[in-house]
Amino acid sequence: MTSTSPISPTRAPSLTRALKSPLSGRLTFPLVCLGVWLLTIQAVTTIWPFAVDVLPTPWQVAGFMWDEITGNTLAPQNMYETFWISLQRLGAGMAIAMVVGGVIGLAMGLSKSVNAFFNDWIVAILAMPNLAWALFCSLAFGFGDTGPIVAVVLTGVPFVVINVREGVRNAPTDLYDMARAFGVPRERAIRHVLIPSLMPFLFAAGRYAFALGWKGLVVAEVFGGQDGAGWTIKFWYDAHRAYGVIGYALLFVIFALFFEKFLFDRLSRRFFRWRPSANATAEDPAPTDQQRTPQHG
Amino acid sequence: MADIKVENLHKEFGAGADRVVALNDVNLEIGGHVFVSVVGASGCGKSTLLNILSGIETPTNGSVTITQAGHPARAGYVFQAARLLPWRTVMDNLLFVQTDRSEETRRRCQHYLDMVQLGDKAKKYPGELSGGMQQRVGIARAFSTEPDVLFMDEPFSHLDAITARSLRTELHQMWQETGKTVVFVTHDVSEAVELSNRILVFAKGGHLTEDIPMNLPFPRDSSDPDVALAKAEVFRIFEKIGALAVR
Amino acid sequence: MSTAVAPTTSPPRRASQAELARKAQRRDRIKAWGWRLAGYLFFLSLWEFSSGRLMDETLLPGPTAVFATFGELWQSGKVPGAFATTLTRIGIGFLLAFVVGVLVGMLMQNRWLSGFFKDAVTIGVTTPGLIWALITAIIFGNREAGPLLAIVLTTFAVITVNVSEGIKSLPKDLIDMAKSFGVGVLKRNRHIVIPHLAPFIFTGVRFGFSIAWKVTVLTEVFSSSSGIGFEMRTATQLFRLPEFLTWILAFYILALFLEKVVLEAIERRFFGWRTTLKA
Repeated sequence: MTSTSPISPTRAPSLTRALKSPLSGRLTFPLVCLGVWLLTIQAVTTIWPFAVDVLPTPWQVAGFMWDEITGNTLAPQNMYETFWISLQRLGAGMAIAMVVGGVIGLAMGLSKSVNAFFNDWIVAILAMPNLAWALFCSLAFGFGDTGPIVAVVLTGVPFVVINVREGVRNAPTDLYDMARAFGVPRERAIRHVLIPSLMPFLFAAGRYAFALGWKGLVVAEVFGGQDGAGWTIKFWYDAHRAYGVIGYALLFVIFALFFEKFLFDRLSRRFFRWRPSANATAEDPAPTDQQRTPQHG
Repeated sequence: MADIKVENLHKEFGAGADRVVALNDVNLEIGGHVFVSVVGASGCGKSTLLNILSGIETPTNGSVTITQAGHPARAGYVFQAARLLPWRTVMDNLLFVQTDRSEETRRRCQHYLDMVQLGDKAKKYPGELSGGMQQRVGIARAFSTEPDVLFMDEPFSHLDAITARSLRTELHQMWQETGKTVVFVTHDVSEAVELSNRILVFAKGGHLTEDIPMNLPFPRDSSDPDVALAKAEVFRIFEKIGALAVR
Repeated sequence: MSTAVAPTTSPPRRASQAELARKAQRRDRIKAWGWRLAGYLFFLSLWEFSSGRLMDETLLPGPTAVFATFGELWQSGKVPGAFATTLTRIGIGFLLAFVVGVLVGMLMQNRWLSGFFKDAVTIGVTTPGLIWALITAIIFGNREAGPLLAIVLTTFAVITVNVSEGIKSLPKDLIDMAKSFGVGVLKRNRHIVIPHLAPFIFTGVRFGFSIAWKVTVLTEVFSSSSGIGFEMRTATQLFRLPEFLTWILAFYILALFLEKVVLEAIERRFFGWRTTLKA
C-alpha cells in the first residue's frame, strides 16, 4: 500500500484515492439511506402530522430488531423459533424437489420423448408466480405444514429439472469412452465420472431451489401458515406495526445473505476445489437464461 | 507385446444420406515390439480403427482379436485430449484405471509419473497443470496399467511444436525401455516416419491402401538425409492416394 | 461391377436416400409433437380427474370448470377492466424501474458509485417481492404510489445488473479504434456503445418484466381496490376457487404470452446476431 510510504507528500493523494475507492462508496450507502429515511420522516411529519405511526424511525426498527435478536418479542414465537420452523419446511420441500426434479431432469436429459412430454409444463410451472401457488396451497391444503411444503416443491422443481437436464446433456462422453478403453468397471465409472460431473449442476440446482424456494415459502406462510417466518411478518402487518414489518424484512435479508454468501460459497469452494479458478468466484456452471431469471412475488 | 489380428473389419455410421463408411474391409496383423503408425487425412477411419481396437466402438462387420501369449491382451490408451477427470488429483486419475489400489499399484503409478517427470505433481488437480503436463499424465496413465499394447490417437496434435517434440522423444524412450506394442494414429507424416517401424496408410472411404516398413535405425534425426528421403517417399505415396480419393 | 455404371446409378439412389433421411427427420419431429401432445393430455386429464375424485371439487376445480367460470366472468364485464388496470400499473411501474435501473447501471461505471450501489443491487436482487409489497402496503395504504414503488424496488436491480454487465464488456478495441480515427463522443456512442448495450438492456427488460408482473399482482392483493390481484383476493376471501383460478390463469397466460412470445420474438428479430456469437 502506498500509505505506508515514508515520504509524506504521497499521503494526500492516497487519502483522496481511499475516499474515491469503491469501499468508501460502499460504506457511504447505508449512511445515505439513513439520511434519506430521516429526512423523509421529517418532511412527512411536517406536511402531514398524523403519519407519525405509519413511518417508523430507524431507532424504532433497530430497537425492534434488538428485541427479536435477544428473543424478547411480542409475537407468539421469537425469531429463532419461527425461522427454525420455516427452515425445516424449506428443507423438507427442497429434499422432495431435488428427488422429483432429479428423476424428471434425468429422464428429460436422456430421452427426447420424455423431454417433449414435460418441457412445456416445466416452463409453465417455472413462470407461475409463487403467489398463485401460495394462495392455491393455502386454500387446498388449509393451514399447516403441507401447504407451504408443497409451495416450496412447486417453486423448486423446475429449477432442479432444468439444471439436471443440462448436466445430463453436458455429460462428458469423452471420459466415459476413456473409462471403457481402460476397462474400468461400470460402478466405478458411475462413482468417479457420472456423479462428479453432475455435482456442479446439482449444486447450482440446490442453490437456486433454495433461494427461490425460500421466497415461495415466505409467501405461502403469509397466506397459509399458522407459524413460521412468513406468518410472523404477516402478524406484524396485521398488527399495523410498520417497524415490525421493516425490522422483520431486514431479518429476512440477513438470513438470505447468510446462506448465500457464507454457506453456499463455502460449500462450493469445498466441493469444487478441482476447478482451476474455483477459489476466486465459484461460479455456477453455465446458467441458462431461465435459471438466471430471479423470481419474485 | 501383443498380437493384433484384424479380419474383414467393416464399420459404418448413420443411415440414408448420412451414411458414412469409416472402415472398408480392413485386414491387418500386428505383432511384437513394434511401433506402428497409422496415417491418413482426417475422416479416413484412423481413429475409428483405434476405437474399435480398444473396444470403445463395435465393428459393423468383421473381427478383432488382441492376444498376449494366447490370453486376451491388456491395452492402454492415450487420447488426443488428455481426458483426465478434472475432479480427481493426478494420482487418483492413475488409480482410477487400475484394477486394485494396493501399495504396490501406488508405487507403480508413482514410478510412471516419475518417468514423465511429474513425480512431484501427484497431488495436483489436472486444472492446475499445463496442457503438456496433462498430456504427460495421460501417457503415464496409459503405461501405468502395464498394458501389452498401447493405443495412441494423435496424442501430440494439441500441443505446441516444442512441447510435442520433447514428449515424442520421451515417449520413444519409454517404448524402447518397456518393449510394448504401440499403435499410433497421426496425420503428421514426419512424426510417423521419425517414430515408427511400420506405417499404415489409410485413404478416404476407410481403405487400408499401403503398408510401408521403416527400417532405419533409431533415434532418427530429422536432419538425417535417409530420414528425409523416407519422408519424401511417404509423402509421395500419400499424395498419390489423396488423388485417388478425390476421384 | 464396372466403375463406368456407377455415376449413372448413384444420383437417383442418393436422392432417394436424402428423401429417406428427410422422412426420418419428419418422423422424429412428429414423434416429438406426439409426446408433447401426450404431455398436455396427460396433465390436463390428471387435473380434470383429480378434481372431485382425489380432492374435493371446491378445492380443486377442473379445467372445464375453470373454463366455464371464465365465460361467466367475461360476460359480467369485469375482465377487461381488471386487466387494463393491472397492465397500466405494470406499464408505469416498469417504465420507472427501467429508468432507475439503466441510470444506476450507467452510474456504476464510476468506481466510487459502483461501491455505493453494490449493496443496493444485492438487496434488490435477493429481497422477495413480498417484502416490498408488505412494506409499501403498510406505509402507503391503498394509494397508487405503493405498488409502483414496490415494482421499482424489485425490478430495477435486474436491469442494473444487465446494463453494468454490458458496460463491463464494452468493446474497448473498437472504441480505441474510433478514437484513433478521431471519431467524436456522440458518434462513438451512437455507433458503438448503444448497439453494444442494446441487447443487454433488452435482456434486462425481459427478465425485469417477468418479475414486474408478478410483483404487481402481489401488491394488488394487499393494497388495491382494483385489478387482478384485488379480484383474486376477493375470490379467496369468498372461498370461490374456480373464480380465483380463472383470474390467475387468465392473467398468467397473458403475461406468459407477452414474455415468451412477444418479447422473445422481438429479441430474436433485433438481436439475432448475438445468439450466434454466444454459441
